Amino acid sequence: MKKRRSNAVMGMSFFTPALILMIVFLFVPMLLTLIYSFTDYFALSPDNTHFVGFENFKKIFRDELFTKAFWNTVGFVAIIVPLQGLGALGLALLVNKVAHFKKYFKVAFFIPVVMSLAVVSTLWMQIYSPEGIINTILGQFGIDAQPFIHSAKQALPSIAVMSVWQGVGYQMIIFLGGLQAINPALYEAAEMDHASAWQKFRDITLPELKPLCIFVFITITIGAFRMIVQPMVMTGGGPSNSTYTLVYDIYETGTVNWEIGLSSAMAVIFVVFVIILTIIQNVLTRDKEEKKK
Amino acid sequence: MKTKAKKISGWILTVFMLIMSLFFLFPVVWMLANSFKGDALITADMNSAAAFIPPALNGSFFDNYITIIKDTSFLRYMVNTLFYAAILIVLGIVVNGLAGYALAKIKFPFADKWLLIIMMLMIIPSETIITINFLTIAKLGLLNNIIGYVLPMIVNPFNIFLFRQVFVSLPDDVYEAAQLDYCSPIKYFFTMVLPMSKTVVATVSVFTFLGVWNDYLWPSLVFTSSDLLTAQIGLNSITSNDNTTMGQTLAVITMITIPVIIIYSLFSKQIVEGVVSTGSKEG
Repeated sequence: MKKRRSNAVMGMSFFTPALILMIVFLFVPMLLTLIYSFTDYFALSPDNTHFVGFENFKKIFRDELFTKAFWNTVGFVAIIVPLQGLGALGLALLVNKVAHFKKYFKVAFFIPVVMSLAVVSTLWMQIYSPEGIINTILGQFGIDAQPFIHSAKQALPSIAVMSVWQGVGYQMIIFLGGLQAINPALYEAAEMDHASAWQKFRDITLPELKPLCIFVFITITIGAFRMIVQPMVMTGGGPSNSTYTLVYDIYETGTVNWEIGLSSAMAVIFVVFVIILTIIQNVLTRDKEEKKK
Repeated sequence: MKTKAKKISGWILTVFMLIMSLFFLFPVVWMLANSFKGDALITADMNSAAAFIPPALNGSFFDNYITIIKDTSFLRYMVNTLFYAAILIVLGIVVNGLAGYALAKIKFPFADKWLLIIMMLMIIPSETIITINFLTIAKLGLLNNIIGYVLPMIVNPFNIFLFRQVFVSLPDDVYEAAQLDYCSPIKYFFTMVLPMSKTVVATVSVFTFLGVWNDYLWPSLVFTSSDLLTAQIGLNSITSNDNTTMGQTLAVITMITIPVIIIYSLFSKQIVEGVVSTGSKEG
């Protein structure tokens, strides 16, 4: 009895530092975000705050900039998710199969992952510049110089491609881990039946990787939804707001315009999105696990 | 006969991938090669393969780097960031490690529920609460203060979870033996538990370092005084200066990348394990 009690005290005391920090910097901010989203809290005159019901949410959906930011974000997701997901899977299959320099390939495709978003963005600003290396190479093939991040049409896809380049190695490593976890006996059995490479891929590799695929695609989707630093550094959201994103809008509305109420409402919508995606992922993968049993 | 054909097709794949990896890495190669050139030479080399080759080693080889080190505070920003990373690695291991240990080994009220809550916290994107944390730190008068920068970054639900997963599998009998020796639980944690779990400690340290080194939004909010800037924020202030040449910009981003490449080459095993563990936690 006494021991159990002392365990409870000790457990709590080990857990308390983390708990206090979680309360102050995670729970309370989440709760406040939810509460503020129903107020007109303006950080420069906090005493003048009123409860406004769903006014912020109505305002957001009428707001042109927010709508633009939303569709831009969807645009980023639409380009990044298939490119990065399939790219990572393709790279992982190749690196898994290659007989020589395997270690070099793992490192080479992972290098951009450890570079920071700010560095990668600064570097690609030079690469995409009107007189930059890509336009010079294009010029040698007789192709006109492209404006890339300086045009409202090309800025979003240009940043999306750069983001895929930066992130693809991360998911490649996850897929490689998954590939190496597949029981080799499955392939041996298939080889006895003279299965072709494509049959082996379709009937063994793909089904075995399915839960991991769902996980990877959802994480890339959430990651793409969180896009902010790249447009912040490269274009400031422009030209003509063509690379302004949801998180960028949340951030600027909060820390530049100090409209905490409005910014909180945007954050609530964003978090709901992320939670829905996570639930979808859990449902899809759980389904798979149960079938296995 | 068949094995020979296999060998050849193996080499074809290798060559194909070597070419692909060169294409993939061209921005990094270009960055490195041109960080040693003046802007006139960068432009002149652009039209040929010389764009990807460093210039001849002569007296002006390191000019861009020397200018950056002499004329800007960039070295200071790098040292600042290393210092913050060191603080956050130590505090992060102690705070998250203790919490993970409590969840794994010590029965205390609602331990299971806390674990569930922590796993749910891992979903919330940090960008959504950054404004409120900024207001909290501002209200505490801790802007432009290392404490204000560090405090919200110590606790990390994912690291608590990672520690817990590893500590769960530690044997119980060692702990009971330690109790017979009147070893205090906190001493036991530091002298037995952490040393027995070197891999997870290394993984958490490396990821904390990469996180602090590469972080952009939070330090840009907390720090405005130039003495305290991190490397990423300093980078921004240097490249946005009109006097900074393209070669100098490339030198700065190369300098900022060197520490992460060193860390990566030393700890690639831990990094890969950490990355793979994010994928397998679903299992």
